[in-house]
Amino acid sequence: MKKRIVAVCLSLFLLSTLFVGCGKKESDVHVFYYTYSDTYISTVRTALDSKLKDAGISYQDYDAAGNQTTQTEQIRTAITKGAKTILVNIVNTGSDDAATEIVGLARDAGISLIFFNREVSDSVIKSYEKCAFVGTRAVEAGILQGEMIGEYLVEHFDRVDLNKDGKISYILFKGEEGNNEAIYRTKYSVEGANAKLTAAGKAALSFYDKSNTNGYLVDQNGQWSAAAANDYMTTALASHNAANGNMIELVICNNDSMAEGAISALNAAGYNKGDGNAIPVFGVDATEAAKALVKDGKMAGTVMQDADGMASALLLLSQNTLKADAGLMDGTEELSVDEDVNKIRIAYGKYLG
Amino acid sequence: MKIKAIEKIKGMEKGARRTYFAELLINNSLYIFLLAAIVFIQCLNPRFLSLPSIINIISLSAANLPMALGVAGAIILAGTDLSGGRVVGLVACVAAALLQSSGYAAKMFPNLDTLPVFAVFLIVIALGALVGFVNGYCTATFHLHPFIVTLSTQLIVYGGLLLFLMIGNNNGQSISGLDNGYISFIKGSVFSLGGTPIPNYVWYVIALTAILWVVWNKTAFGKNMFAIGSNAEAATVSGVNVKWITVAVFVLAGALYGVTGFIEAARIGSNSAATGLNYELDAIAACVIGGVSFVGGTGKIGGVVLGVLLLRLIFVGLNFLGVDANMQYIIKGLIILIACAIDMRKYLVRK
Repeated sequence: MKKRIVAVCLSLFLLSTLFVGCGKKESDVHVFYYTYSDTYISTVRTALDSKLKDAGISYQDYDAAGNQTTQTEQIRTAITKGAKTILVNIVNTGSDDAATEIVGLARDAGISLIFFNREVSDSVIKSYEKCAFVGTRAVEAGILQGEMIGEYLVEHFDRVDLNKDGKISYILFKGEEGNNEAIYRTKYSVEGANAKLTAAGKAALSFYDKSNTNGYLVDQNGQWSAAAANDYMTTALASHNAANGNMIELVICNNDSMAEGAISALNAAGYNKGDGNAIPVFGVDATEAAKALVKDGKMAGTVMQDADGMASALLLLSQNTLKADAGLMDGTEELSVDEDVNKIRIAYGKYLG
Repeated sequence: MKIKAIEKIKGMEKGARRTYFAELLINNSLYIFLLAAIVFIQCLNPRFLSLPSIINIISLSAANLPMALGVAGAIILAGTDLSGGRVVGLVACVAAALLQSSGYAAKMFPNLDTLPVFAVFLIVIALGALVGFVNGYCTATFHLHPFIVTLSTQLIVYGGLLLFLMIGNNNGQSISGLDNGYISFIKGSVFSLGGTPIPNYVWYVIALTAILWVVWNKTAFGKNMFAIGSNAEAATVSGVNVKWITVAVFVLAGALYGVTGFIEAARIGSNSAATGLNYELDAIAACVIGGVSFVGGTGKIGGVVLGVLLLRLIFVGLNFLGVDANMQYIIKGLIILIACAIDMRKYLVRK
C-alpha cells in the first residue's frame, strides 16, 4: 500500500513538472546561448533579459551547454512552438554547416534570425534576407591586446626584462582549439606586441619553453578555464623562476578567467600581490574580477567587451522584427555596420584601470 | 624475511621460478611504469626532478586526492559517482561567495561580513555531504545503480550552481577577490623546503589521507564497506546494515568533494560554472589505475594515492616534454587503458 502511494505521488510530481510552463502565451523572442557557464555571455544574458523585459517583449532563454546538437534541437522545438524571432549564440564556429542548417530552419518557418557574439561567415548571413549578426570583429580583441602589450613593454622594458637578456620571455594561454576567437587572439596579440617592440628597436617576444613549438598552452577541456591556466602556470613556474634565471616575464591570456588562474599561481610564487613586484598579465573581457585586479595593480590590462552595447543592438533588431512595417536593419545608422552585409559591430576598448 | 624469499626462489623449479618473476612483474607493474616514466622524462628534461618541480607535482596531486578517495569508496561498493565534479564546482563557488574580502568591488553579497574560515568550511562540507546523502539514499532505497542516481544529481547540482551564480549582484560572473585569511589558510606556507614553499593544503590532505586509511582498514564501517562491495547478499546475511553503510559511503564521498571544492576555490582564485568540470572522470581514472576495481570489494588507499600521482605525473611530464595537446589526450587514454588491463591481468593470474 505504502509503495503504491509513493508511486502515485511520484507520478503526480512528474506530471506537474509538465505544467510548469502552462497558462503562459508563447514567447515572441527565443534566445539560444552557447553555454550558461561562460562569464561574459552571462553578462550579456542579464543585460538582454532586463532590456527585453523593460520593452515588454516576452522571451525565453536556452542553454546549449556547449553542444551544437542540443542547440539545433532546441531551435527546432522553439520554431514548432511558434517563435517569431530567434537570437542564436551559435556553438560551432569552426565551419558553416551548423549555421547553414539553422538558417534553413528559420527560412522554412519564415521567421527572423539574428546570430550574436560568436561569428558566422558573411555568406551565411547573405543567404537569407531576414538574417543578421551582432558581435565584435574577432580579430580586434587580439589586435587591441597586442597594442596594449607592446605599448606597456616599450614603456617598462627594463623593469619587465628580469634577467636582462634583452628579450621578454612570455607564456600564452589559449582558451580552446578550433575556435576563431581563440585563434585570432593568440595570433594577433603576439604579432601586435612584436610590431610595437621592433618599431621601438627592441627584440621580439620569445616563448618561455623552447621545446613547445605551438607557442601556446591550451585548456584541454576547451573551457577557457582558470583551473587549466593555474595548473599550467604552477607547472611552468616550477622550472622557470628567478632562481634559475629564466623567470617568465609576461603572461598573455585569451580571456580574463585564465588570467585570474595565472595570477593565482603567480601569487603562490610571491608575485602580483599588489606590492609592485608584478609580472604583467593581460586578459580579454574586462570581467568585474579582472577590473578589480587591474585596479589593485595585480594585472596589467584587459580588453573590454561591451555587453550592454551588444544587448541594446539585439533589442533594437528584435523590436524591428516584431513590428509589421519595419525593416530588419532600421535604426542601425548610428551603429558600426559592415558594408554589404547585415553585420553590426560592437567596438572593443582597452581597459588599463 | 628477504632471505626466506630468496631461499624460496632457489628451491623452485625452473618453470615455477619463471611464473614467480612474471607475477612479481605484473603485481608491481604500476611502480615499474612510474619509475620508467620518471627516468624517461628526467633524461629528456633534467629539470623534471628539481625540488620545485617535485613539490609542484605533489601539490597538484594533493589537490585532486580527496576527491579520488571519495569516489574510491563508491567504486568499492561496485558503484561509481559521477556527481563529484559538479559538487566541487558548487562548493567552490559557495565557499568563494561567503569568503570574498569585504570591500571587494564586485562582491556577491555586499552586506555580508567575511565569515570565519572554519565556519564556511563546515557549511560547504555539509553541503557536499547533503548531495552525497541524496546519492546514497536513492541508491540504497530505490535499488538504483549509482551511475543513474549520480548522473541525475550531477545535473541537478549543476542547475543549482548556475542559479547560485545569478544571485545577488553577481550576474553569472566568476567569483573572485577572496579574503586573505582564507587564501593564506589554503595556499599560504608554514613550511618551505630548500626555498620552495609547500602550500598548507598539502598537509591537510596528508592528514586526511591518514584518517581515511584508519577508517578503511581499522573500523567496522570500513570492513563492512569492503564486505558489501565483494558480496552484498553475503553481507546482508551476516547482519551488515547494507542500506546505511551505502548511505554513509556516499555521504563520506560528498564531504570529501566538499574538501576538494574548498581547497580548489582558494587554489584557483577564480570560480565559475566551469569549475570542477570533468574532475570526477580524472578521479575515477586515478582509482582504477591504482587498482580500485569496478568489480567491487578491492582497493587500497595507497593505490588511489599512486593513481592520482601517476595522472599528475603524466600531465606535468608531457608539459615538460612540450608534447602537443592533441597527443596528450591519446597518451593519457592509452596509459589508463594499459594500466587497467595490466591490473585486471593481476586478478586473472591469481584466479
